[in-house]
Amino acid sequence: MQVEQQYGSKGLGLLTRESGLFLKNSFGSLFSREFIKVLIPLLVLWEVIPRFDILPRTLAPTLSDVALAFWDMVVNKGLFLHILYSLAKFLAGLLIAVLTAIPIGIFMGWNLSIRKHALPLFQMLAPIPPPAWVPLTIIIFGIGLPMQIFLIFLGAFYPILFNTYQAIKDTDPRYLSSARVFGASELTLICNIYFWNALGAIIMSVKTGVAIALVMLVIAEMYGGRSGIGYLLVEAKDFFQIPAMVVCMLVLGIIGWFSIELLKFAELKLALWKVGR
Amino acid sequence: MEGGKMIEARRISKFFSIVNKDGIAEGLTACMSVTLSIEKGKIITLLGPSGCGKSTFLEILAGLQAPTEGEVYIDGVRVLEPLPSTRAEMETYRKKYRFLSPLANDLFRDRPKHDIAMIFQDYAVFPWMTVLQNVTFTLKLRGLPRSEREKQALFYLNKVGLGASVNKYPSQLSGGMRQRLAFARALSVEPKAILMDEPFAAVDVLTREHLQDDLLKLWESSGITIVMVTHDVAEATYLSDEIIIFSPSPGTIRNRFKIDVPRPRRRDDPDLADIEVRISKLLKYDVDNECEYSI
Repeated sequence: MQVEQQYGSKGLGLLTRESGLFLKNSFGSLFSREFIKVLIPLLVLWEVIPRFDILPRTLAPTLSDVALAFWDMVVNKGLFLHILYSLAKFLAGLLIAVLTAIPIGIFMGWNLSIRKHALPLFQMLAPIPPPAWVPLTIIIFGIGLPMQIFLIFLGAFYPILFNTYQAIKDTDPRYLSSARVFGASELTLICNIYFWNALGAIIMSVKTGVAIALVMLVIAEMYGGRSGIGYLLVEAKDFFQIPAMVVCMLVLGIIGWFSIELLKFAELKLALWKVGR
Repeated sequence: MEGGKMIEARRISKFFSIVNKDGIAEGLTACMSVTLSIEKGKIITLLGPSGCGKSTFLEILAGLQAPTEGEVYIDGVRVLEPLPSTRAEMETYRKKYRFLSPLANDLFRDRPKHDIAMIFQDYAVFPWMTVLQNVTFTLKLRGLPRSEREKQALFYLNKVGLGASVNKYPSQLSGGMRQRLAFARALSVEPKAILMDEPFAAVDVLTREHLQDDLLKLWESSGITIVMVTHDVAEATYLSDEIIIFSPSPGTIRNRFKIDVPRPRRRDDPDLADIEVRISKLLKYDVDNECEYSI
């Protein structure tokens, strides 16, 4: 009943309220009364310690140095454009991984025959650490967008695949039995029972996938990119611009946090039935 | 309604192979040559101690498990195709069921194999659907047109007293209400028979008695056949026309009690109490002996 009331208004008002709620729920913790007491002293220490040469200022930039470097990067290097490039690659790789891994996982979990044919292959390939694919990928795809997207895809693919498969396989047999007795076809079972029962685990697995995909994003851009945060990071290293490096690291951290929170939000919206639990 | 066989089980046996804790394979007999025929419009209870194969037997009746031997007919239609007996049959059987097990339904078409419904011990209502969706989903599986689904679902939900909470999720309901939902879901498809696997085991005593009375009311108005598994003797005597007592290892029919006490019955009816005592003694004897064997 409450849910319906929430969805009562329509359009732009709903969008602003939902996004406001999302931002508050996700990043409100940063500005909570408790954390402010930690955050402000930390920032002050960050500013003060290099300034009084407790740490050498050339190696440890102050907060103001980083802020200036950030502004410089926004104005002179188009930082936001680079962020956009990185995000686009990241989303493309992740999307391909989600669209392939979830169906394969569902089919492997659903049917014993498919599982026996496919699982050993993935079990063999999955333990290869994704960064180990970099040299081969560069030779096959060259340095460019396909190689970067492939590496990001590779990072996200296996966690999503295995967790989805496991969750589908562990579906409560009682749900399946009761739907079967009522005459559900196997397709209906997959769409209405298996998938919904495993949804929580699938979203969880996408979160894991996001974490590894982010690692692969940086690696891919460091090895073969002309754009993106990883590229800026390597460039800053080459010119020994430590504040710029810190900016890149912070931006990556924020991207990771943001995507995880976005998934949590999606989970909340999709798994409404768990709210009352 | 009276007369005629609704469910017929002929010489059902079910063997499992399990691996014990020493890593040695063992055979386990869940059912041994169980023959049972159930008349239309009766309430039959399968009673016995835990682990005597009565739940397995019920799942075999529903077509959720394949019997090792024997055959089941529901309203004259065979539940599962016969298992292979010769080598040549085995070959074709293997080829046919390489991809999907014989227990699986059609790949793309929703089609009930038999006109039965089943209720499980812990409800098995789908937590991701609302109360109404739970019922309309099963009606959709039975091929009811969209316009009629909601009407029929609401009719049965009102009948079990859930009319006020159709938009709630099962997690927001109490145990008794969830069980009512399971009843509504089973009744809404208007089956010829309902199989119940310990339907009242997970609710408290007061709710249980209430639900039992509701079940009797629903049964009297619809006249469907009910097969119920339970290990509550009082419940069995109060509800059923006939009690089938299973004995464990191997699970076979030990005794059958016809209960001719006229309905409506009273819970404190001395005749029922008498039967209850006799059955309890019988079961106690079985359990005691079982203990001796296992030592």
